[in-house]
Amino acid sequence: MEAFNNLMYGFSIALEPINILYVFAGVFAGTIIGMLPGLGPISALALMIPLTFGMEPSSGLILMAGVYYGAIFGGSTSSILLNAPGVAGTVATSFDGYPMAKQGMAGKALAIAAYASFIGGTVSIIFLMMVAPLLGRVAVSFGPAEYFSLMVLGLTAVVSLSDKSLVKGLIAAVVGVMISIMGIDLQTGTERFTFGTVHLLDGIEFLVVALGIFALAEVFYMLLKGGGGKEQPRNAIGSLKLSKQEIKQIAPPIGRSSILGFFTGVLPGAGATIGSFLGYSMEKRLAKDGDTFGKGNIKGVAAPESANNAACTGSFVPLLTLGVPGSGSTAVLLGALLVMGVSPGPAMLVDRPDVFWGVVASMYLGNIFLLVLNLPLIPLIAKILDLPRPLLLSLILIFCMIGVYGMSFSVFDLLLLLGFGLLGLGMRLFGFPAAPLILALILGDIMEESMRRALQISGGDWSIFIDKPISMWLLIIAALSLTLPLIKRVMARRSV
Amino acid sequence: MTAKQHLTRFSAIVLPLAAVVGMSSAAQADEWTPTRNIEFIAPANPGGGWDTLVRTTSRVIQEEGLAERSFGAINVPGGGGAVAWAQIARDSGNPHKLFATSPPIILVPLAGASRYDHTSFTPIARLITDYSIVLVRNDSPYEDLPSLIEAMEQNPQLSVGGGSAPGSMDHISMAGLAAAAGLNASDVNYIPFSGGGEAMTSLMGGHVEAVITGAGEASGQLGENSQIRALGVSAPERLGGALAEVPTYQEQDIDYTFDIWRGVMGTPDMPAEAVAYYEDLFAQMLETDGWQQAREQLGWIDAYQDSEEFGAFLDEQKEQFSTILGDLGLLGE
Repeated sequence: MEAFNNLMYGFSIALEPINILYVFAGVFAGTIIGMLPGLGPISALALMIPLTFGMEPSSGLILMAGVYYGAIFGGSTSSILLNAPGVAGTVATSFDGYPMAKQGMAGKALAIAAYASFIGGTVSIIFLMMVAPLLGRVAVSFGPAEYFSLMVLGLTAVVSLSDKSLVKGLIAAVVGVMISIMGIDLQTGTERFTFGTVHLLDGIEFLVVALGIFALAEVFYMLLKGGGGKEQPRNAIGSLKLSKQEIKQIAPPIGRSSILGFFTGVLPGAGATIGSFLGYSMEKRLAKDGDTFGKGNIKGVAAPESANNAACTGSFVPLLTLGVPGSGSTAVLLGALLVMGVSPGPAMLVDRPDVFWGVVASMYLGNIFLLVLNLPLIPLIAKILDLPRPLLLSLILIFCMIGVYGMSFSVFDLLLLLGFGLLGLGMRLFGFPAAPLILALILGDIMEESMRRALQISGGDWSIFIDKPISMWLLIIAALSLTLPLIKRVMARRSV
Repeated sequence: MTAKQHLTRFSAIVLPLAAVVGMSSAAQADEWTPTRNIEFIAPANPGGGWDTLVRTTSRVIQEEGLAERSFGAINVPGGGGAVAWAQIARDSGNPHKLFATSPPIILVPLAGASRYDHTSFTPIARLITDYSIVLVRNDSPYEDLPSLIEAMEQNPQLSVGGGSAPGSMDHISMAGLAAAAGLNASDVNYIPFSGGGEAMTSLMGGHVEAVITGAGEASGQLGENSQIRALGVSAPERLGGALAEVPTYQEQDIDYTFDIWRGVMGTPDMPAEAVAYYEDLFAQMLETDGWQQAREQLGWIDAYQDSEEFGAFLDEQKEQFSTILGDLGLLGE
């Protein structure tokens, strides 16, 4: 009941005309920012700090939060249509979204992404509202040992992501880990794989790799295959409507991934990208038709889209209840709140309930706006696929380059983009799956850093990974997820 | 190195750095004004300390109408600052390019990760400072700094988390504290996290025994109902606000202070008139109400030094840091 009263209080703030305007402006700007590859939520939020100065803290946070979850919502569009992820959190969406678009089901893919995002967002707001104060404890219960084990569990998905050849999948994953540890090592300050250039001291930006390996490689591949174009007939947007059976199919994955995504988001440092991958690989393993994942399975769009939006909302838990930013975007939000004179933390729920409940209520509103805003736009935006192929390919190329250059203003990164495009092309031609590389790239450095940190704390004693219960359970689940499919296969063979 | 090479080129118009510092007097001050917009670089991604400084000062200068030309914030991330420094170092003499700076301008080169250090650039002004704060969990047995130090002496494994890499600010600050308290600087089991927030989360979860981070960043975490307790700040005297209860190191008989200062530098061999102009501009800015307000909210403390004082201060800092880095075995080639 108390939560309900608080929520009503929150709505009394969120429904002030000016705040409704801010929610709308925020999610609208966010959607557009999300659609454009490169311009991610972090830089967009930083640019908005001066705008919020002098605003009521609740209004300022309502606006900025809208931009943040709006970007994750909108990021799926370019993942699906162009194979060029708009934000890091929507990379996994392209695995099945882009094949769907190629098969003439772009409209359906975008609609599923919108519904899944909406449900993921809304479910997680309910969680945020009901249990946020308790969840602060969950967020801090993850130390270095627990993070290591979580990343190990995440990496076991390499097996399910490397459809045909496990060896090739593992090779791709190793390359991904190697890319992830480039730059100055946090533990020792040693430079790794920097080839003596300052441009690599901070490693490689994730989106440069993702855009290269997915979008650019796709452009190269289409060029190589020549004018073919048969697989993509004109006016191939398809219907937005979902059949009852399809709704039945995607409902359970959306439910599961929303919850999984939310809890991933709660963990500082995990966030939308890891959440979407965990959601995707979980559904791929659970599904009976798991082998059609990656070829345009609707569940493969629904799962990561609900997970990344849920994770985005989840990342507000450590920010608002502990005052600790769990991601780059929430770090900028924290900075903005400080400038507005609010220090998030345990005391905020008591001192500034208007900020906390106002934002929570505004998120319900924002998600509805996003759905209403995005659904009618789908046929319009999807028209981009009607463009003649030469135009479309050039457009993707330009998008990728603007995106990458806009992130760092560095020509070096453009060369890297080209390099990863060629790598992606080579991987496709020789049958190496790209997903394991991307997964390993996301998880690799966190896994390595956490492992070394944990060992440094324990004085080199490896039992720290088993002594901590959460860590132990995560490792057990990881071991099971690797061995169960094998055991199943052996059993199946015997019974034949 | 590079700065010296450029001196010859500019000696006709501009005096060498040392002389610039000595002679930037009021006589030259009103001569020069910017002729185009000023690029104000944060050598890092949006959201961090440098970025906040750049955006806040640009905004205050704009809002208070202190300059006719606007200050455009630009982020040049990479290499803990090294990428931006390498770019700025090539722009010798350009009077329209400034960047935010803090101890990494000394620490990163000392660790061997940048060819350019503070002597490569023109100091403009030191603006603010923050201090280090040592935190433990509420239920920790350590009530004050001496008891923590004693525990560290008995158990070299005792983990102290910090928000930055080994050999950078938090580590240096902690190692210096340990050395001042009679331990070896290298006896600290320093666990680097990728930000003060992450380090504090780890402390709350009981994964590390203590944490050292910026006092401004931690102040929001302290107070009633807080899960963490502050043992000491590295300031010469007590801070205000939420930190008023926290004793200094010196109060606990450890003769050591550590500043996390932030300031502004310009391109190599920036003309003396331009330096004077900016010195003046930032001094004026510090007096405005807009700044006072922003500064208070961000937990910063004014610590203005003009170009000359700032340059001398940087040299001092370098000496101090290289001693500690040497003790830690982290000096680069």
